[in-house]
Amino acid sequence: MTWRERAAPLLREPLVHFLLAGALVYALLSGRAPDIGERRIVVNAGVVEQLIGRFKQTYRRDPGPTELDGLITDYVRDQAYYREALRLGLDQDDDVVMRRMRNKMVALATSEAEAATPTDAQLQALLDAHPDRYSPEVRLSFSQVYLGADTDATRALAAPTLERLRGGADPATAGQTIPIPRDFANAAASEVAGVFGDAFVAGLRQQEPGAWGGPVDSGLGLHLVRVTGRSAAAKPRLADVRQALENDWRAEALRKAEVENYRRVLAGYDVVIEMPK
Amino acid sequence: MKSRMILAALLLAGTTLAGCDKVSNAMGGGKSAVKVAETAYPERVYWGDTHLHTANSVDAFGFGNRLPPEEALRFARGEEVTSSTGLKAKLARPLDFLVIADHAEGMGSTMALYNAPRIMINDPTVLRWYDMMHEGPDQSVRAMAEILQARAKGTLPPMFRDPKASAERTHNVWNTYLDTVERYNEPGKFTAFMGFEYTLMQGGNNLHRNVIFRDGKDKVAQIDPLDPTNELTPDKLWDYMDAYRAKTGGKVLAIPHNSNVSNGLMFMMTDGGGKPMTAAWAKRRADNEPVVEVTQIKGDSEAHPFLSPNDEFAGYGTSGWDIGNLMLTEPKSKDMYASEYIREALKRGLLLEQKLGVNPYKFGLIGSTDSHTSLATGDENNFFGKHSGTEPSARRPMIPQNLGTGPGRLGWQYLAGGYAGVWAKANTREAIWDALARREVYATTGPRMTVRFFGGWDFKADDLKGDWVKAGYGRGVPMGGSLAVGKSGAPSFIVSALKDPDGANLDRVQIVKGWVDKAGTLHEKIFDVVWSDMDKRRLAGGKVPAVGDTVDLAKATYTNSIGAPTLATVWTDPEFNAGQRAFYYLRVLEIPTPRWPAFDALRFKAPIGPDVQMKAQERAYSSPIWYTPTV
Repeated sequence: MTWRERAAPLLREPLVHFLLAGALVYALLSGRAPDIGERRIVVNAGVVEQLIGRFKQTYRRDPGPTELDGLITDYVRDQAYYREALRLGLDQDDDVVMRRMRNKMVALATSEAEAATPTDAQLQALLDAHPDRYSPEVRLSFSQVYLGADTDATRALAAPTLERLRGGADPATAGQTIPIPRDFANAAASEVAGVFGDAFVAGLRQQEPGAWGGPVDSGLGLHLVRVTGRSAAAKPRLADVRQALENDWRAEALRKAEVENYRRVLAGYDVVIEMPK
Repeated sequence: MKSRMILAALLLAGTTLAGCDKVSNAMGGGKSAVKVAETAYPERVYWGDTHLHTANSVDAFGFGNRLPPEEALRFARGEEVTSSTGLKAKLARPLDFLVIADHAEGMGSTMALYNAPRIMINDPTVLRWYDMMHEGPDQSVRAMAEILQARAKGTLPPMFRDPKASAERTHNVWNTYLDTVERYNEPGKFTAFMGFEYTLMQGGNNLHRNVIFRDGKDKVAQIDPLDPTNELTPDKLWDYMDAYRAKTGGKVLAIPHNSNVSNGLMFMMTDGGGKPMTAAWAKRRADNEPVVEVTQIKGDSEAHPFLSPNDEFAGYGTSGWDIGNLMLTEPKSKDMYASEYIREALKRGLLLEQKLGVNPYKFGLIGSTDSHTSLATGDENNFFGKHSGTEPSARRPMIPQNLGTGPGRLGWQYLAGGYAGVWAKANTREAIWDALARREVYATTGPRMTVRFFGGWDFKADDLKGDWVKAGYGRGVPMGGSLAVGKSGAPSFIVSALKDPDGANLDRVQIVKGWVDKAGTLHEKIFDVVWSDMDKRRLAGGKVPAVGDTVDLAKATYTNSIGAPTLATVWTDPEFNAGQRAFYYLRVLEIPTPRWPAFDALRFKAPIGPDVQMKAQERAYSSPIWYTPTV
């Protein structure tokens, strides 16, 4: 087994990627890898270039000699204080530091997931796992006549009105005027629920298609209804729901990346919880 | 020191957001798009919020909002999300459309400041705010209140006042946002608009506008949102909108809001700069701003008791909002109300039209939330607060606006937020935007009542039978329209209102009429045109008696044993004068129901002071129908 073969699993290990990425980010920011214990503060050419670069981003010109001195002096001051503070353990028990470190860890762990693009196979798998979530909504076609608020008097109206309608009376002459349509064609169940309330959709389901029936309860009162059509449950097709699948896949990938990262981190610790007596 | 701050912000924006850009570009927009057919005329009302803030807004983030636009879109579509304070949040009913309108100025900058290395910040004031933000939610809210105060007083540290410095970050945040919106726009099912808030202010006086595009990313990405920081009037915004139209062939409109805290500046008799209004200025205003957001979390701007002393229902949601401007940097005097409340503004529009030939204030009405939590909640029993610092908790009904840093409004004076009802021919960007542009829209304070309103010259009571909606469109004009002139007799109106299927019964429907006489005097009158139990509730002293009250505050409930589920009538103006300019709009009142503090008192045992309004009659306002005499 060569060293390459031995290292291969390690190089596939996300934690290693993560540590390498972290070191890289730090190196980019500071010009070199950190060594807190070291008593030498080196402001090398890379650091100076970076200080100049940041200045130029703001002022769109090079810093003058005094300004550059100021930038370097400040950098040294930052480094000295920072290292000394760590040496003294001032980062311990500091909520702000702790939260910042946690946020950085999470950001690094999820950055890869954010950039990932799902394959069709992955999307199909998500679709197969949750067909209900992506299947096309049941669509309803029906007519309704609004009788009024659910009272005894209204209920008493139901039977004679129903008889008239079944005898071929024009629905436009029956019931009360309301500012929603009498006839719905191929309306999504959620749309019907938005207009009438959830109970009405459940009530429609109980009705035999074809003939006038009811009364059916809604959030508005009582209705007589004639169901004329209901779409059969259909299997969702990837092409029709690709955008929703991609949105959900990505959200889930981010969540998973964070959870898995935390699990890995936590695995390196024994957690002991002692409740107050 | 200025340099370090901006630089840190730019750096962070550049590094952390670059990842998102790539993904979104790869995703593209509207991958499941289908062709959606429009109906011959609007058959149903679509519900939405045109005014929602996410973590990208400079103040929302400071107040603790950590939810990006994607979460806001998922929530509006009806999915459950976790709020910034860790609460599970879900709408009882999804919305049909959403406009995320984050503040253009400093878009994403508080997030960038928060995420910047502390070492990059040298300005002592900014550093203090930075530390407060990291200390915890309470201090973060206080820091944000200070930042907003400083902005209103013009004492922000220099970096905050330099729009150029943040242009690059804004560009990145904006484009990431556009990608997200594109991914969630689903024609026929859920419409996600692109837009931003133009937070124009004079001192602490609110002249804010929400800018809403009709188009997709192909056009909208050709421009960045406009920063209002150094502006005092809306003229630059209108230039920007014109430039967008010229450059892209797209369409855009702007919606002013919170005229109630403009301290007399939103609906002036002069132009924005205080000079005499010209016909050209009036036309620009009317063309660019066809709709006003009349009700939202920060109060209601329909009518004030000072202006409408004979209207016993005026003053809804004015408590606390009528004491000063938005930032409370300047108290309000009574002479300011006339240019703050929409009823008076609609009347002024008639007078200005009489003088100029153009009505600058010919606007329709919508409600929205202005929520800064990324959660477009409008229901009293599901109010998630003005911002993340006031998400549900025991203390929020009595919490002061500025956390005690100055005198101010208390938590309970905030409303639960409103919604926009839109009569559109389909649930698409094009159809909903077009309905806004033609003002076929209405406002509610949250409940989803269905409201129809048609004006014509020959409507009779019999028209309510049969296919009356078709007749309404065929022989008249819908809300937002103008009556055809040259007909004889008085105009008649078809009025139909239906309760929210999950809500309270209706008390009454009123027609609010405003007009201007030959002498240029402005008038208003409210007609109760239809109400519940009309046979029992006879007029007393010319007024309809109160509907009653079934609210049980201990349980935060009410019963629909009073009121009516639906009210309809055909009404003819009995005092019509064919020589006078006039407008008519509907006000639909629900029976009394518990307000959100009643739910907080029940759920969290929240302390409630003696002045707290615990119930209210929620309402809908239709866009007006105008009458203009032939000259």
